[in-house]
Order: sequence, then C-alpha cells, then structure tokens
Amino acid sequence: MSDRTRRIVGWGLAIGAIAVMVVGLLPKPAAADPEQRAQSLEQRLACPLCHGQSLAESGSDAAADLKVIIREKIDAGLTDDQILDYFAVRYGDHIVLEPPLLGWGLALWAAPLVAFGVGGWIVWTRRGVVS
Amino acid sequence: MIAAIGLLAILLSAAASVLLIGRAWRQATAPQPDPGRIRGPVQLLLGGAVIAFLALETAILSDNFSLGYVSSNSSTTTPLIFKLAGAWAALEGSIVLWGLVLAVVVYLVARSVRGADRLGLTALSVLGVISLFWFALMATAANPFEVCTKLVGGVCGDTSWLPFVHTVAPVDGVGANPLLQNSILMAIHPPMLYVGYVTFTAPFAFAIAALIRGEQGSVWLERTRRWSVVAWAFLGFGMLLGAWWSYEVLGWGGYWGWDPVENAALLPFLAATAFIHSAVVQRKRGMLQSWNLILVITTFSLTILGTFLTRSGTIISVHSFTQSEVGPILLGFLLVTVLASLALFAMRSHLLGSAPRLDSIASREGVFLLNNLILTVFALAVLMGTIYPIVLEALGRARVSVSAPYYNRILLPTAFLLLMAMGVGPVTPYRLARAGVVWRRIATPIVVGLVAGAVAVTVGVRSIPVVVVVVLGIFVIATIVGEFRRQLSKVEGRRLDRVLRLLRRDSGYWGGQITHTGIALIAIAIAASSGMAARGQVQLVTGESAVVDGYCLVYETSTTRTEPNRQVIGAVLSLRDESCGNEIAILQPVFNSYVRGAVGTPAVHTGLFDDVFVALGGVPGDQVALNVMVFPLMWLLWTGGLIAVAGGMWAIYARKPQRRRVEATVDV
Repeated sequence: MSDRTRRIVGWGLAIGAIAVMVVGLLPKPAAADPEQRAQSLEQRLACPLCHGQSLAESGSDAAADLKVIIREKIDAGLTDDQILDYFAVRYGDHIVLEPPLLGWGLALWAAPLVAFGVGGWIVWTRRGVVS
Repeated sequence: MIAAIGLLAILLSAAASVLLIGRAWRQATAPQPDPGRIRGPVQLLLGGAVIAFLALETAILSDNFSLGYVSSNSSTTTPLIFKLAGAWAALEGSIVLWGLVLAVVVYLVARSVRGADRLGLTALSVLGVISLFWFALMATAANPFEVCTKLVGGVCGDTSWLPFVHTVAPVDGVGANPLLQNSILMAIHPPMLYVGYVTFTAPFAFAIAALIRGEQGSVWLERTRRWSVVAWAFLGFGMLLGAWWSYEVLGWGGYWGWDPVENAALLPFLAATAFIHSAVVQRKRGMLQSWNLILVITTFSLTILGTFLTRSGTIISVHSFTQSEVGPILLGFLLVTVLASLALFAMRSHLLGSAPRLDSIASREGVFLLNNLILTVFALAVLMGTIYPIVLEALGRARVSVSAPYYNRILLPTAFLLLMAMGVGPVTPYRLARAGVVWRRIATPIVVGLVAGAVAVTVGVRSIPVVVVVVLGIFVIATIVGEFRRQLSKVEGRRLDRVLRLLRRDSGYWGGQITHTGIALIAIAIAASSGMAARGQVQLVTGESAVVDGYCLVYETSTTRTEPNRQVIGAVLSLRDESCGNEIAILQPVFNSYVRGAVGTPAVHTGLFDDVFVALGGVPGDQVALNVMVFPLMWLLWTGGLIAVAGGMWAIYARKPQRRRVEATVDV
C-alpha cells in the first residue's frame, strides 16, 4: 500500500469509527428516566445497617425499604438533591456517600482542581525557551 | 519459655539497632571507613528478628494458649495453613513479620556496602533508627509474647509482658478471625503488602542519607532503583490479591470499595508510581532532584500513614481487625518522620546542584511531568477523602462519608489523562519532540483505538465512559505494539531471539511497557465491570428458577456439612443459559459458621464475557434468597494485574545481553 492510500484508509476508518460511536452513544435515554435516576441515587446513598456498602450493592431488607422510598420520592417530583437531603435529615449526613458541595465538603471537591491548576502552572512557568 | 525466647530476641534486635546506628554513623564519618564493623550488629538484628518470628510460629503451632496472642488468634481446630498465617493475622504478630522483612532489607543493604561507601553507611544508620522504632514497639505496646496471668470465664482475662511470671492457659483458643480463615488468599495478601511497605524503607534511607551528606547527583537513585520497583510491584500485587479476596470471599459483590484501608495501600502505591517515573527523568536528564527527594519522603510517610490507618482502629472497617494503644505511637512516628525529613530537606536542598531546565513541554520529560502531576493530584484527592471523615469526627462534628461517588468522579478524568499520557509519552523523544515524529508513531494506534471503540458500541456498550476507556486503552496497547515492531525491525537475528534481545536490551523501558499494557487492560476491565454490571435479588423455593441478565438460576437443594473448625451451610444452584436449558455450571454459595462468627462465601462462575456472582442473602432452606450479579470482563482485571506486576519484575530482573548496552534507540 502506498503512503497515500494508507492515509486515506486511516482517515476513512477513523471517521467511520467516530460516526458509529456518535450514532450509538448520542441517543441516550433521557436523563430524567425515573429508574435510571433511582439507580444512580442508590449508588450515592449508604445502606444504613451494613458498613461500607451503598444501597445499590446491598441486598439487605433495610436497603430494599430505602430503595422503595427513593422511587416514591422520585414519583412525588423531588429533585436528586432534595432526596439526598431527605435521607441526610433522617439518617444523618453519613448516609450520603459523597461530601456536600458546601463548607469543608466543597474544599474536598475543589482541592484536586486547584492542585492540578497550581501544579500545571508551576510546570508551565519553569519550562525553558524552545530553541 | 517460648515467650521469654521471643521477647529476648526482640530486645536483641532492638539493641542491635542501637549498635548499628552508632557504628554505621561512626564509620560513615571516619577517615578510613571499615564496613566490616557493621556486620556484627546487622547479623544480630537479623538473627533476633528470625528467632522472634520462629518463636511466634512455634507458639501458635504448638497451641501454646498461655500466650494471649495465640489464644485470641488460633485454636486446636484451626487448619495448619491458617495457624501459620495466624502469625500475621493481628497487630502484634504482623509487626513481628514486619520487623523480619525490615531486618532482611537491612541485611541486603549492608551486603551492598563495600569500601569507603559513606552514602551506604549513612543509609544503614538511618535504617537503624527505623528498625529501633519497630523493635521497640514490638517490645512494648505491641508485644505478641504477653503471657496470660488470669482466666476469666475460660478466656484470658489479664496479661503480663514479663514472661517469667506464673502463667495460665485457656483450654482452647478462639481461632482465627473468620474473615481471614475463609480463604488462602488472606494468608498471602498481607505479607505481600508488608514487603511492599517495608521495602520502601531502603530508598527512603538512601534519600535521607544523601540529604544528610549533601550529596548531589543520582547515586542514591541508581542504588535504590531495584528497591523502588520491588516495593512498587509487591504493593501492586498485594492490592491485586486483596481485590481478588474481596471479590471471591467477602461476597458484597465488588473488588474495590474505596475503604480507608484499601486507600492506605493505594496511596503509597500512587506516590511510588510517580517516583518511579520521575526517577527516570533524573537518571536520564539530571532534572527533578528535589522533587524526587520529596516523592520518596512522601511515599515512605504514606506507608507509615497506611500502617497507622490499618492497625490503629482509628477507622472502623472490614480491615481494621485490631484496636490498641499503638495508634498514638504510630501517629507520633509519622509526624516525627514527616517533620524531621522536611526540616532536613529545607536545610540541605540548597546543596543540590541546579538542574537543567525543561527544554519543552513537548518532550518525554514533559509527559513524565504531566504523569507526576496527575498521579500526585489523584493521591492528594484520595488522601483528603480518606482523612476528611476522621478529622471531622475528631473535631466532634457529625459523622460523614466519603466513598465511591467522590473517588469515582475524580478517578474518571484522572484515568483519561493518564491513559493519554501513557500512549503518547513512551514514543515521545526526550528534550524536544517534533510533532511529525510523534504523529507518525501514534496515528495508526489512534485509528486502532477508535475502531475498537466502534466495535464496543456495535456489540452493545452504551456507556460513554466505558467506550472512552476502551478507545484509550486499546490506543495505549496499539502504540506499544507499534513501537515494539518499529524497534524490532532494527534488531538482527532469528525471530524469538530478536524479540528477547530487544526486550532485554532496554529492560527498564520494555518492562515499563509490559506494565502499561497490563494497566490499560485493568482500566478497560474496571470501566466495564463498574459501568456495565447487572444486579438482581431473587427468592427461590426448591426447584424454582429465575433469570437475571441472560442467565438462568435453578435452586436445587441446600447442603450442610461440618468441618473441624466450622459449619458450612450452602445452596446448590444450577446455572443455565437464558432459556433454562443447557447447564453451564453448578454454583454453591455458602455460609461458614466459626466460633468467632459467620461469614459468607459467594460462588463465582467466570466466563469469557462475564462473571456470574451469586451470594446468599439468607440461610438457605426450603427457600433461598440470592444476590445475583453479572460483571463483564472480570478475568481481564486479574490478567491485567498479573501482566503489570510481571512488567515490574522484567524491568529489574531481566538479564542484559552480553554486549555492552548501547543508548536506547528510542531516544531520538
């Protein structure tokens, strides 16, 4: 194969592959699909009795009860954050498996971004001049 | 008797450590250093550690329940292998094993010290300080040879550290921790991690020695390259075994839970990974001298933090089998290590020579820096997530959780960036890379990666992160294969001979590429198993069947059997295809009841495309409750892990070809 045909085949394959992925992945089911929302919330909440497991992972009865409550709250029109708050108020903050986006919890979320920015800036400013 | 021998052996090692500190230091500063003067203390140190370990094993194997440690970690019915492993099943014993590994490290370092090796002698002095700490801890707060002096209700009620007092012994011990005696993996997982943790003491000692002596250059790095890679490989292998154990034994349906104790092993692993990469930059280009010292100090400190988290009971988790007053001591040691190392660094770093500057970001060293930035930022996030709940609790605030949703969200961009760097970096020339050169090497791999992504979508993958990881992972592997073929064309000889010659010629580079291949496979497996797992809960009466995610399960019967150390209650299930026709396998998830409690063991059927994982949700009888999970591509995770570890081993143990090595041809 000549370089030219190789290049054409390569670009053709790349564009074709990207097209397949875009077509296959774009028509995602609407994010508002209640069952999908329920499953994602199950992963963000802890099973109240079994240490270290999320609701999604737990097969216990207690977890099953909470999974039902999640679906009831979704049907009642609550947002994800409202549902997380609902459980945090009743079971304590630790039932939510991620830090909140305020106060010290916000620092936990922001720290990696800030560190990446600062580190990147240091590397960038210390580079030499390309000769 | 055995308690007295054990305690005296520990004291012997502690005394030898003191001797080693003084003699190594005196020789390091003497006009005519004589390394022969340190042989004595090093041999005593190793001898004491070996005797202490053997004494502990002897006590356990001979059912000597007058030792508090033996009666609470073993019993007459404990199987032999778990008796042996009992020596490291709890805090006190594990520190004895720790001390033994450390003594071996000291011995091996001492053997490498010849002539007027002042750096090595200073490093031995530092090693003496560290081993003094551990053996002193063994002799005091974490003494495994405490004897039982009073029985309360048949179990040991009071202990004494003095081995010569009148002792009493319970009739039998309570046996090993059920979680531990349920799988052979748990006997080997901890020692692998200890070797990883402890081995990193050697690079740390050499780094501190270089700082104390104000030595410039990369001598300490060259001398500890093997130690760092061995430490890295054992930490990685230890984590892999831990993940496997968690998956095969714990039965919660996962292999990684972002548990603080898992993070405790991950943190030094991440720092060590960053260090191994930045060390290459210093060896090849003389850059990053200060940064490498910081990374070594960080890695060593994180191993102590890991020990503290694992063994102090500060956090309650599946791994924290022990609680004791050792916590404050370890925390103190951690603080002293960090503060003393940083103070030394601050006082001495001006002695390090000024390093050449980075010529351009577009260079091999530029990508190495990106790699270091990503790894350290990720380690920082894991560290903060791990200690955040502990700090809040210590401040008296409400209990909070930081778990998978936090870490996974940070892991995703981290993995994307790392995979990209992993694909581009190894084919990027040092100093200044022309875009055309790099492009020629990655163009075809990019197409291969994209096609792999399209194939994944075609076979039904609908998760965007999974597809992105497939594209990047296959891109990485294709780049490695392409580079290998390009280099191979320059090697003469017959087929297999050529391959081996190339892999050996630059074993560090190619060992790294083997590891990268493994990591890319792991990334794909993790993405698939976390993004595409299916879970179901079913209740079945005898003879009934249920279909979960394309598999049919038929409940056939329940079984019970009694073994010396446990009672096993299980369910017999027939795993069949979707139409409940052809049988694929018989699955038997069980509950094991031990004296100290019950623990379930799931049944796993591993297939080419996915694993069927079944755990009992309740005691089986006429009816059984099952948690069924289907995880795609799990075998890829374990295979990738083994390949990654093998790459590390290749990097340090592959024999170089006879001819003197020419500069790696990849360095354009």
